[in-house]
Amino acid sequence: MNEISVQIKINNNNYERNIKPNTLLIDFLRDDLGLTGTHSGCDTSQCGACMVLHNNSAIKSCSILVAQLNNQEITTIEGLQDKDKLHPMQNSFRNNHGLQCGFCTPGMIISAISLFNENNDPTEDEIRKYLEGNMCRCTGYQNIVKSIEEGAKDMREKG
Amino acid sequence: MTKHDKNLKGITRREMLVGSAVAGTGLVVGYSGLPGAVGGAREALAAGSWDHQVFLTMDNAGIATVHITKAEIGQHVGTALAQAVAEELEVDWNDVRIDYPDTEEKWGFMITGGSWSVNWTFDRNSRIGASARIALIEAAAKMMGVPAAQCSASNSVVTDSVSGSSRTYSQILSTTTIDRTFSEDEMKALTLKKFGEYKVVGKNIPALDIPDKLIGEARYGIDVFVPNMVYGRLVTNPTRFGAVPLSADDSAAKSIDGYAGVAVIKEDPTGVNTGYVVALGETYWAAEKAAAAMKVTWDSGPNANTSSADIVQAAKDSIADESQGFTWVLEGDPEGAMSKADTTVEAEYETSLGYHGLMEPINCVAMESNGIWHLFTGSQFQGRFTAMTAAALGVDGKNVVLHQQYCGTGFGRRLEPDGAIISALAAQQIGRPVKLIYTREHDLRFDFHQTHTVQRVKAGVNSAGKIDAMSHVVAAGWATKRMAPGFLAESVDKKGKIDQFSTNGSDHWYDIPNHYVRSVENTTAMAATPPGQLRAVAPTWTWWANESFIDEVAHKIGKDPLDMRLSMLSATGKNAGTPPNTVGGANRLRNALIVAAGKSGYGVKPMPENTAMGIASVASQERGSPSWTAVVAEVHVDPSSGEPTLKKITVAMDVGTAVNPDGVLAQIQGSALFGSSRVLHENVTMTNGAIDQGNFDTWTPMRIHQAPEIDVTIIQNGHYPAGCGEPVVTCVGPAIANAVFNASGARVRSWPITAEKIKAAQRGA
Ligand code: FES
Ligand code: FES
Repeated sequence: MNEISVQIKINNNNYERNIKPNTLLIDFLRDDLGLTGTHSGCDTSQCGACMVLHNNSAIKSCSILVAQLNNQEITTIEGLQDKDKLHPMQNSFRNNHGLQCGFCTPGMIISAISLFNENNDPTEDEIRKYLEGNMCRCTGYQNIVKSIEEGAKDMREKG
Repeated sequence: MTKHDKNLKGITRREMLVGSAVAGTGLVVGYSGLPGAVGGAREALAAGSWDHQVFLTMDNAGIATVHITKAEIGQHVGTALAQAVAEELEVDWNDVRIDYPDTEEKWGFMITGGSWSVNWTFDRNSRIGASARIALIEAAAKMMGVPAAQCSASNSVVTDSVSGSSRTYSQILSTTTIDRTFSEDEMKALTLKKFGEYKVVGKNIPALDIPDKLIGEARYGIDVFVPNMVYGRLVTNPTRFGAVPLSADDSAAKSIDGYAGVAVIKEDPTGVNTGYVVALGETYWAAEKAAAAMKVTWDSGPNANTSSADIVQAAKDSIADESQGFTWVLEGDPEGAMSKADTTVEAEYETSLGYHGLMEPINCVAMESNGIWHLFTGSQFQGRFTAMTAAALGVDGKNVVLHQQYCGTGFGRRLEPDGAIISALAAQQIGRPVKLIYTREHDLRFDFHQTHTVQRVKAGVNSAGKIDAMSHVVAAGWATKRMAPGFLAESVDKKGKIDQFSTNGSDHWYDIPNHYVRSVENTTAMAATPPGQLRAVAPTWTWWANESFIDEVAHKIGKDPLDMRLSMLSATGKNAGTPPNTVGGANRLRNALIVAAGKSGYGVKPMPENTAMGIASVASQERGSPSWTAVVAEVHVDPSSGEPTLKKITVAMDVGTAVNPDGVLAQIQGSALFGSSRVLHENVTMTNGAIDQGNFDTWTPMRIHQAPEIDVTIIQNGHYPAGCGEPVVTCVGPAIANAVFNASGARVRSWPITAEKIKAAQRGA
């Protein structure tokens, strides 16, 4: 298979790589770049563990080709911090015990930030609707909702 | 597997060594295998003959690392176990770390499950912390030239109460040699703190491994990459168990870019399955395409005609045949009492096949290097993984090492070493490291499912409205018989062996003067659906039957189900309980029921139309190690469609002592959802030997927008800490079924509880 050249900005770093045209974003992130914080739970677009931010919105990296993102920018869980400072949404998940095994967590946090970007003061119902595509098998979801409510509040206040 | 009490006894037979090899190098704490077999701790360390289980290491900066041999599967157990050590060690919590060592004998027996982790190890870890503290105080006293008796430790500092001078742990550990042996009697005699005196235990300390998980730094099994590895992908066997590949034609696969060959395994001596075809690729994509292109001829094996209905029928037949199975409980004269009963009630309950539904599917990287096999994966039973992989490979068990990774959930699935065995066999065949990842379809179809169960329960009620006799037959696949036959239990009449872990829970805490339980192995289920341990195990089904049934009896004789339960929990005789684990006995279950009823407004709170509460209580997991738990479920049933909606779950749970209350709360919320999802949303069925469901579109767990409100009360009374990850799973099911009945008049006796079953029950079908 012939390789193609792509340019993609990930977490503020520019990558220029030759890749196979059928390379999925998730495999590129995990296998080629070692950014294993983006998780894979189903490969079929049903669990949300693989979400990354693209134009401020969550997309499922298991269902998009790197080639489709040529010359574009994405952010993964590894790119949310400001140096050693956690993103307010990460911080809120920590403070509210919003995770247990942590496998769904990157997807949850990315999805929550994406929700905030659309609606900066979501109600509990809106949070639950928006996160329908993010599965968690550990929590009772309550602490996740709490984490997102508080994280959104913190993000609002920090502007 | 073993019962907790064996383990607690086991450790006290040994000496404990606290020591450092060379002055100023910190210390190591561990139990010796045999008392007196080596010299002191220092000698053993210096000679390199330290062969003890190592639990705690401190470096010369005073950093204390507690070695956690339990899998981190989302329960944050490491933090709770470290809290127990830190409490007695009097170490500054900021200096506490945990790690997850690889398998070597020094780490001892490794298994995670059964809500046992904290329950097993609390006392042991407290004593480890205490002995290290004493050694540090003695060393500091010597440094200061004062008697140890007038010194005490707090916050990583030893202070002489007379002069007021002090030494930090770091100062001690960076200058002196510690060499202290505690005999068995000394270990036993250590005075430990009590409830009310704790500074670290009982605090909501954020789990130590949360930060890594928040920033994408935690490494799960699926995140492991090694040089020169290929990806492995299973070609789907035609049946769950028993199929053998006769040949694999890879001519079409050969043209796939990155195809790296095929491993055809026609025999697995460990019996995890009967054969595998693993397609290999330089990339995951290539392995996936190659698997699809592989033409495999299979012998489908002996289960190719088995379907769910056959498994159920086999169970029913074995229940009807009284010669089958063995007696698990026999109290009084059940037959005689039953024949004299005023009223009898009888019902049959089923639970469906259960899928663990790991978030991170089964995976393993297997690699051979200089004669040593390395396995990289998350495991809940490390010793089993290495021993069985060694057997499959035909190598010595010493030459297999497991490198523990974080687990994206576990629920008992990671007790099974199939991923390790298959990746290792494939790696052996092709001579390169193999990273095997199950697709979601494989994870679901080749799970070690929770067995399908059928139970028949019958009660004889006397004229005073009391249950005088109860008989209960449990028919299930026996996971323990498959996994660890040595742990089958003797039946009460000594006529045979019983899988206690498929039966427990039926030996409940109600006053039933004449009580009979028979446990039967469902051999059809055993053959076609190799049963595994799924979170909460037998109590998931035994309490489902018990607690649905108590409500049925109450309704039949016109009693309130809560009153009925309370009237049977007198906490007398065998239900009085004994220290430490069951002290208080059935009274603690009573209390939990009263708290849950009160918190939920049971019988008091006005309910909207077609909405009702249902109550249930359990003493899971085992009779010897219960967490006393009650649940009230609030359910709405749509009168036209029959659709049940779970509105709210109220939980009251007596855990004795909550080592980390925030962690306990999270575990309870999670288990409430897990159990509700299982009962209302999850179904696994078999047709012609194969599992019908293949992904999250057909196996549909409860999601965030469907989840109920969960209100939790943790009851603490200072008794020994009980496990908290599983009991609620076993209690929500019957509470929901009882609420459905109260809301709609429909008694559903099988899982999942669906609109169709509710409508059918309403029609009297
Ligand atoms: S891996 Fe992308 S949605 Fe599950
Ligand atoms: S925290 Fe484990 S799956 Fe969500």
